[in-house]
Order: sequence, then C-alpha cells, then structure tokens
Amino acid sequence: MKTRRVRHILLVIVIYLLCLIYFFPILYMILTSFKPETEVLPPRLFFTPTLANYRLVLNPDIIGYLRNSAEVSIITMAVCIVVGIPASYAIVFGRLKKPDNLFFWFLSTTLLPPVSVIIPVFLLARYSHFLDTKFFLILMYTGANVPIVIWMVRSFLKDVPREILEAAHIDGCSKLRTFFAIIVPLTRIGITSTALLVFIFVWNEFFFAINLTYVHAATLPVYMASYMTQEGLFWAKLSAIATVTVLPPLVLGWFAHKSLVKGLTLGAVKG
Amino acid sequence: MSDGSYRYQKAKFLTLPAVITVALVTQVPIIFTLGLSFVKWIVVRPDLGVSFDGLGNYLRIFTDPEFYAVIAHTIELTAGSLVCCTVLGMFFALLLNRNFLGVNLVRTLIVSPFFVMDAVAGIIWKTLLLHPSFGFNGYIAALFHVKPIDFFGSFSLLTVLVLTVWQWTPFFILILLAGLQGISEETLDSAKVDGAGWLRTLFSIKIPAIYNHIEVAIMLGSIFILKVFGLIFVTTSGGPGVSSTNLPYYVYKVGFYEWDVGRATAIAIVTAVLTLIAIMALFRFFQRRFKEWEV
Repeated sequence: MKTRRVRHILLVIVIYLLCLIYFFPILYMILTSFKPETEVLPPRLFFTPTLANYRLVLNPDIIGYLRNSAEVSIITMAVCIVVGIPASYAIVFGRLKKPDNLFFWFLSTTLLPPVSVIIPVFLLARYSHFLDTKFFLILMYTGANVPIVIWMVRSFLKDVPREILEAAHIDGCSKLRTFFAIIVPLTRIGITSTALLVFIFVWNEFFFAINLTYVHAATLPVYMASYMTQEGLFWAKLSAIATVTVLPPLVLGWFAHKSLVKGLTLGAVKG
Repeated sequence: MSDGSYRYQKAKFLTLPAVITVALVTQVPIIFTLGLSFVKWIVVRPDLGVSFDGLGNYLRIFTDPEFYAVIAHTIELTAGSLVCCTVLGMFFALLLNRNFLGVNLVRTLIVSPFFVMDAVAGIIWKTLLLHPSFGFNGYIAALFHVKPIDFFGSFSLLTVLVLTVWQWTPFFILILLAGLQGISEETLDSAKVDGAGWLRTLFSIKIPAIYNHIEVAIMLGSIFILKVFGLIFVTTSGGPGVSSTNLPYYVYKVGFYEWDVGRATAIAIVTAVLTLIAIMALFRFFQRRFKEWEV
C-alpha cells in the first residue's frame, strides 16, 4: 500500500512538471510582461515586477485595435446566435423535407479552406470600397461561423426530451413560448459556450483580418503581426501587448472548454 | 401521441437567413474563384489587361516544381501534426484521467495553448523562446557553450510543425479525455481481476472504447490543421524559399505578393479540391463507425 502511495505522488509530480513545460511559453510571456526591459535577459525567475510595460503599451493606438476586436467579435457572436439558433431549431424540431441534408450542407461549408474564397472576396471589397471596414469583416465572419453555431447547438437541442415539447403543444403553449420557456433554459449552458467559442474564433481569426483590413477595421491579430517589424526588440513591451491580447479568449476558453467537446463532436462524444 | 404535431410547420423560413448568409459568403465567391482561375490577370501589370486564358493557369502551376514542393510540405505538415497530436494527446489524456490535488488547474493550464491566437503563439515562440541570440534558445546555448540552433532557418517546416502540435494537442486532449472518462469503472475493474497489465488494458480496452473519440479528434483536427496560415505568416513567411510554405500560404503569396489573380485562384481551386478529397478519404475511412453513432 505504501509503495503505491509513493508511486502515486511521484506520478503526480511528473504530471505537474510536464504541465509546467507545456504551459511554459505562456507563463514565460506573462512573466516577461512584468519585467523591466533591461532585465529580460538572461531569464530569471526573481525580479522586481513592474507595470511600466502595460502603462507604455496601453496607448490610444492599441486601444483602437482592442475596440475593433471587441466590436467585431461581439457583433459577430450576436448575429451568429440570432441567425444560427433558429436554423438549428428548424433542423431538429421543424418539419423539413430533408433536415439531415441541410445540416450536412452547413457542415460541408466548414471544410472549405478560406483561401478558396479570399481572392474574389478581396476584389469585391476593394472595388466596392468595403475594404478595411468592420461591416465587411463581420459579414465574412458571420458566414464562416453560422455553420459552427448550427453544428454545436444542434447537438444540445437533440438532448431536449420530445415528450416535454409534445406536452407543451397539447397544453396549447405557442411555439415561441415553448422555445423561450422550455428549450432555452434547458440548453443555456450549451448556447452560452457556443457563443463564447464563436467569440474566441473571431477574436483570434487571422486570415481574413490580415487580407481585408489595414487601419480602420484592423483587429488585434493584425496589430500583433505588424508589431515585430515596427517596434523591434522590446520584448517586455511585446509580451505585455501579447498578454493583453490573449487574455480575453484564454479566460473565456477556460469556461467554455467542457461543453466545447460535446458540441463540436456532434453530441456523439459525451463530455 | 408522437405524430410530430409539436413540430414547427414553417421551419423553412427559420433556416433562410442562415442559408442565405452562408451561401453568400462561402458558396458564391467560390464560383467566382473558379471563373477567375481561367483568366490571365496580373493586378500590378495593368498594361497586360485581363484576358481569357483557358487552362493556362492550371498548366502553369502543374508544370512548376515549386507547386509540388508546396503540396509535399502541406502533406508533411498536416500528417505529421495529426500523428503527433494524436499520440501526445493520448499520452496527456491518460495522465490526466485520474484524481489528484489540483487536477482541474492542471487540465485548465494544459488546454490553454488552444485559445491563444496563432499570431501571438508564433511571435512568442519566435522571439522569447527560439530567437538564437535574445531568446531562451540563445540562453540555453550559451549555458552549454554551443552555437544556438537556427530553428526558423534550418528547420523551418519542422519548427512550424512543432508550433502547430503545441497549439492543437490540447484540442485532442479535451476530446480523448472526455472519452476516457466515459469508460465504466466495472470494465476496468474486471480487466484488473483478469490480470490484464497496464499495456494490455490500454490496447484491448481503453483504445477500442474511445475509438470514436480518436476518429472525431482526427477528423476535426485535419479540417483545422489543413488551414494553418497565421503561424507561418508570423514566423517564417513560408521561407526560406518555399521550405515552410503550405497551400493556403502559397495562395496568399501568389495572390497578394505577385498579384497574379489567375494563378492564385487556380491554386485556390486545387487546394479546395485536394482538401475535400483528403477529408472525404478520411471520412470514408471512418464511415463505418460514423454511421453507428450518428443516427
């Protein structure tokens, strides 16, 4: 019994170490962001933490990108939910001729690589003067993420017992009321994590952002990509910006990751 | 009672907004991509004009050795990442599928790289960690008095692969761990009673039990990893040469550096076709199982 205990403790220590190694790049970035620029090298665990980097980088410049990222992510998330949930509702509970075909059509659009549409989309944006506008970026993101909402929400809706809906129908409860009084409360965790996931995907999206925006509508990934060439080797500052940039999706991801598994795997994989 | 009268009758209208938006953004442009791929149009050379070129663009890309190199890199990067993610994801999922002090914190930390945007992941690895003079890389090399390894120069594709694996393994861990947690205690206990060792339990019980989860992880993983772009953009820009260029980055380079609309759209079409073939092949491979759990 005792040797088993010792083995367990050793194993747990190994797990801690491996986890620390895996997380190290992020940890190192966060630590560096609190170091004075002169103390970045050589790497040290103990240093006098400072907020100077954050004070320096949180200037109107980056606030603009932050605002673009937040606006684009939140609006896309809201539109995707409003457009996507009725469609999943129709696929699961509606009277459609071939609901599965429609569902797989939505799924198949997520298989297509974004490069297959980027050039006409770019040309259209350029000649219609929609290039570098938040509207256009939101439109692209909505089209790309609505299938993901339908995909995930469908697996949560399928868990709602039909008996309850039949009972509500017999009691004369309207469809709209059934939806808001029964379906939404039963699936709210799934819907919330779907929304968070869309937010994270959009916040982190790089390909459309770098090709369709320059200054006015540019989001944080665009700023990060241009930062290195513009600012050179001030790595404490760089780390501070990077930390600010990854914090929102990181925190939301920590909340959403459990239902993410269930939703994305068609509900077949029970989390 | 189950005559389905509780079903919503006008369901079609509810799907319309979604169908229209998705078709507008993903389906309509691809028709134009196809159209443009038959055209000779170099934006930075207005003197040449825009003219119909038949299959000229396709001929040009298929006779270009660079194109085959890029396809090879795409396959290496995707297949290599998928194998590493599956093995590493399984390894961590097995480790984390137990109770110990702080298990939730450990799980949370280990899935974090998945939520870090690729632009930032690429930059912190390129600068803070792997920079030959000012990164952790240089520091370690100095400790041992050796020359630091030039990761993004000499081993560009391999380094991009490592970063991809670092970002995507958490996704595999999440799915595989969910699978392992679903295996009943009784099954494992009876295996123990029968005297099955650790390795035997793994291959005869655990892996078959979570076969579905492994498939799902690989399917979804391949869809996302085939699209890797941001990591390459911020770390190697596809170089040196085309040594770390995959198909998405190649389309970008031809389209937005050389401004060769015809050739870029032709490559984009080939990319889309190859992606669909690859994913259909995987899907076929898994289909027998897929039907079982999706009814």
